[in-house]
Amino acid sequence: MILFNYIASFFLIILGFYTIVTKTNLVKTVIGLSIADYGVNLLIISIGFNPGGTAPIFTWGELNPASFFVDPIPQALTLTSIVIGACVTAMSLSLVMKLREQYGTIDTREIRRLRG
Amino acid sequence: MSIVMSALQYLGYILIFPGFLFCFLAGLLLCGIDRKLVAKMQKRVGPPILQPFYDFFKLCGKETIIPAAASSKTVFLMAPLVGLASLVVLQLFIPVFNFTAFSGMADIIVILYLLLIPALANILGGAASGSPYAGVGLSREMVTIIACELPLVLVLLSVGKAVGSATGEGLTFSFSSIMAYQAAHGSLILKASMIPAAVAMLMVIPGETGSHPFDAAEAETEICEGLLAEYSGPPLGIFKLSHAIKMLTMTSLFVALFLGGIGGGIESLVALAGLSGAAAGGVSVLLEAIVLFLLCVVLTVVCISFVHAVTARLKIEQIFKFYWTVASGLALISLVLAWYGL
Amino acid sequence: MMTSLYQHFPIFSIMVLFLGAFLIVLFGNVKPLRHAIALLAVTASLGFLIALVKPVMLNGEIIAYWMGARAPAGGYAIGIALEVDALSLFFGLLIATAVFVSCVYSIQYMRFDDNVGQYYTLFLMLAGGVMGLVLSGDLFNMFIMVEILTFAAVALTAFRNTAKGALEAAFKYLVVGCMGSTCILTGTIMLYAQAHTLNFAQLSAFIPGHMNTATVVAFALLYIGFSTKAFIVPFHPLAADAHGAAPASISVLISGVLTKSGIYGIIRLSYFLFQTMNLGTMQFILVFMGSVSMFVCVTMALAQHDFKRLLAFHSISQIGYVLTAVGLCTAMGVSSGLYHAMNHTLFKGLLFLAAGAVLQQTGTTDLGKLGGLSKKMPWTTALFLVGAFSISGIPPFNGFASKWMVYQSIYYKAVESGNIGFVFVTIIALVTSVLTLASFVKVSQSVFFGRLPKEYENVTEVPWGMRLAMSLFAILCVLTGLFPNVVTTYLTQPAANAVFNVANYINAMLGSGYAESVMGAAAPAAQAVTYVEVGLWQPVSWLLLLIIALLAVTIVAIAGKYDSVSESAAPADSKYDLFFGGEESVYSQVGGEDLFWGFKHNWRGYFNFMHELHSGIVNDYALWAVVALALVTLYMLIVF
Repeated sequence: MILFNYIASFFLIILGFYTIVTKTNLVKTVIGLSIADYGVNLLIISIGFNPGGTAPIFTWGELNPASFFVDPIPQALTLTSIVIGACVTAMSLSLVMKLREQYGTIDTREIRRLRG
Repeated sequence: MSIVMSALQYLGYILIFPGFLFCFLAGLLLCGIDRKLVAKMQKRVGPPILQPFYDFFKLCGKETIIPAAASSKTVFLMAPLVGLASLVVLQLFIPVFNFTAFSGMADIIVILYLLLIPALANILGGAASGSPYAGVGLSREMVTIIACELPLVLVLLSVGKAVGSATGEGLTFSFSSIMAYQAAHGSLILKASMIPAAVAMLMVIPGETGSHPFDAAEAETEICEGLLAEYSGPPLGIFKLSHAIKMLTMTSLFVALFLGGIGGGIESLVALAGLSGAAAGGVSVLLEAIVLFLLCVVLTVVCISFVHAVTARLKIEQIFKFYWTVASGLALISLVLAWYGL
Repeated sequence: MMTSLYQHFPIFSIMVLFLGAFLIVLFGNVKPLRHAIALLAVTASLGFLIALVKPVMLNGEIIAYWMGARAPAGGYAIGIALEVDALSLFFGLLIATAVFVSCVYSIQYMRFDDNVGQYYTLFLMLAGGVMGLVLSGDLFNMFIMVEILTFAAVALTAFRNTAKGALEAAFKYLVVGCMGSTCILTGTIMLYAQAHTLNFAQLSAFIPGHMNTATVVAFALLYIGFSTKAFIVPFHPLAADAHGAAPASISVLISGVLTKSGIYGIIRLSYFLFQTMNLGTMQFILVFMGSVSMFVCVTMALAQHDFKRLLAFHSISQIGYVLTAVGLCTAMGVSSGLYHAMNHTLFKGLLFLAAGAVLQQTGTTDLGKLGGLSKKMPWTTALFLVGAFSISGIPPFNGFASKWMVYQSIYYKAVESGNIGFVFVTIIALVTSVLTLASFVKVSQSVFFGRLPKEYENVTEVPWGMRLAMSLFAILCVLTGLFPNVVTTYLTQPAANAVFNVANYINAMLGSGYAESVMGAAAPAAQAVTYVEVGLWQPVSWLLLLIIALLAVTIVAIAGKYDSVSESAAPADSKYDLFFGGEESVYSQVGGEDLFWGFKHNWRGYFNFMHELHSGIVNDYALWAVVALALVTLYMLIVF
């Protein structure tokens, strides 16, 4: 079943990139970045998953060789990644707002004073 | 005692041969011969051969005017001096037959870059004068440099490869191995694969020295000598001198790259004449200088005077096209041939 | 295990920067305190790294530092590690130097801006991010640091958000930069799925023996991710936008430091993690992307009409040299590539600072509007010329020394491998160099020489602090050019040796014998690294000769009335007017983007095509990134 997660996560990443490449609305570009980010998060979580494993939360002495749990490292990585994703969204949306103020549009085809 | 002697010797190299005095005399003489020959070919009487000397000394007696619009006085005045000094130092690195003053300090790729310094001094001096003519001249001078660079690079790479594969090093850029190879196996121009490169190099000589038909950068009739438009007096004289010396530099570079191996003959001639020790050294250096100068004269006549007499000035984009197609094509042939060991 | 004090220095040099950033948030409203904290942080960071030169560079020690002393247990490296070998330290020193000079410059450069406290916070975050990236021994931490530095760089690019194009550049950089970061994270996690470790040394021991489709795709993702950080083609338009729009002190960091972090990542990936550099196909892709960057960006630079944008394109062109040299996989190649990377930081920093000085005094960097500034800003002009000569490779400045080594190594590689393709790379490199010279002649003429426009009659020289910062870079440019042997012996060759001794890197982290036990016969043996030089160049002797010759010429010239110049006493004297063919003299400045018309005319098809291609639309740049990713992945899947 975990295979579906992998397929879905790569699908999300590709969908995100597709959105960035094709959509000319800056807000949609930001959404594309987020979608790609969610895809990566899904991938990370799926990689750490062990079928039948428990949550990797133990107190002192509880941990023994027989305990079977999901890999905790990817979960930590996901948390970091989610935080970074939130930062990306916040930062890019604030830039979009400023761009709207300066250029009067959020169409990528018109925001091209720097070129050549 | 020996330190003093060697210091004196090096000072001699710098100041007399192959440094200042030789450059000064040979360069201006080449320039005079060139002017005279062009005149003869065009059925004019022409100036006396010593005319460049007269011109130089006359200019040195004139007033130096700095235009009020000049953006940097220092650069305007220093540029000619730096250009001349760097050319003279460059001349020290180019080996004269087997006589190597300082050739162990730089290889052929370094020479490629050192050649840029006099041109750059010229450009910056002109730019500092603030004249729009200099602006146009600067643009054309730089494009000429770009144009000449590609064939020159190809020529140098093919020489490096040809000598390297013949000596078993695989590759060399050092002048001393090129000279040693030529002394042992005869001049490089005798190799069939190097002939296109030599022809390309002959084409580069007038471009680098800025003579007809590649003199769009200083077209007198059109942009009033371009970079030199605002120069007068001694700085102008020094630029003219540098220009003359550059003829010597380029032709002697050609001799070093393609016509080496003649010096050995001269030394054996001197030895045959029964001289030995310091006297033999002195005589052979003198003879070498004379032979070198004669070779340079021949090359100047072939590449500069003759071409000058029969062609009209090209436009700058034509110069560029010529070098990046014809000259580079020839040099590329040599490079590919040398690459496959022919 | 007894740890010496200096083993803590790597983490100190990262933490002081972040600590400084934090303190500036608290106390940044007080101007002197803010400057003191920033200067102290960058100086301390530089100091800690300099203290490491002796053990790491000279004694060849590799510092493996486990945060909280969590050393690996049971063969699994759980803790977070820093690992500092000569390569890391080399880049660390480079970064610390650039950050230090840029900080000195900022004090007076940013004095008219609002919210300078936030500027310094972001500045130190950026510095700390890059420092953390190069000193980290952990793939995931590298990703975190990449994100921190990308964020700080984006925010700083948009810092002067009223400047032309700043927001636009920041947004484009953010979009493509985040795509790159996503690639890095995906690649990292795919490697984790294979090896169940994030420790760099352990990954390096595990992966070469376990190459499969997943690791190859991960490699392609990581490679493209770090390429976006190095801004090599096809990511160069972002660099151009971001460098051009950011304040000059930040452009120094983006061009001198961020691009280096990308190069560092690529070296770590291809030489350490996957150890694929000995394959011709892998060399091909690095050399190919390097040469294309080199050439495309120098021609793009020739067509620019903005000073900083021109510098930005040159920056990527020089990174192309570095990548090409590094991609040769010869000792000389890596050493010369690192040398050029170092020089690039120095001279490009100097040039950006000079551009910043011009921007501050005149309010514009448009080449078509400026001119004749050397009359008003002689110091800046002189320092700019040092930088321009360095980047164009005019002897004896540093750009020449490293470029000359790069040519030698490429051409020698060509001869050694018998592959004629490298000959053309050599030719491209040499031609790129002269085109670089051409565009800096254009800048000299358009900005510093030529005629001074009327509106800049009252321009003055920049304050001493900015000149000091520029002079620091200029002095380093001259010194590293004059003593190439010292630089190669003490800096670049130890770093190159580290690159070719991966087993040492692994064993230093995980105990000696680890690499051999995991990798078996495939363990990379310690190599005797040899450096082949096929030419010679003695800059000091040359300079001595030039000085003697110049003295001689000057003496003769002064004896010959050279100094008896006559200058305009009364402004009305027409003798001192410019020559205008008999007409009355008028203001006329030749300069701007089309200065080398004769060259561009022959290549007009190419230039028009390039102009159309760099459309400025963020979708296009994103498309390039995706296409590059797809192509590289496909290529890697085919060849491995």
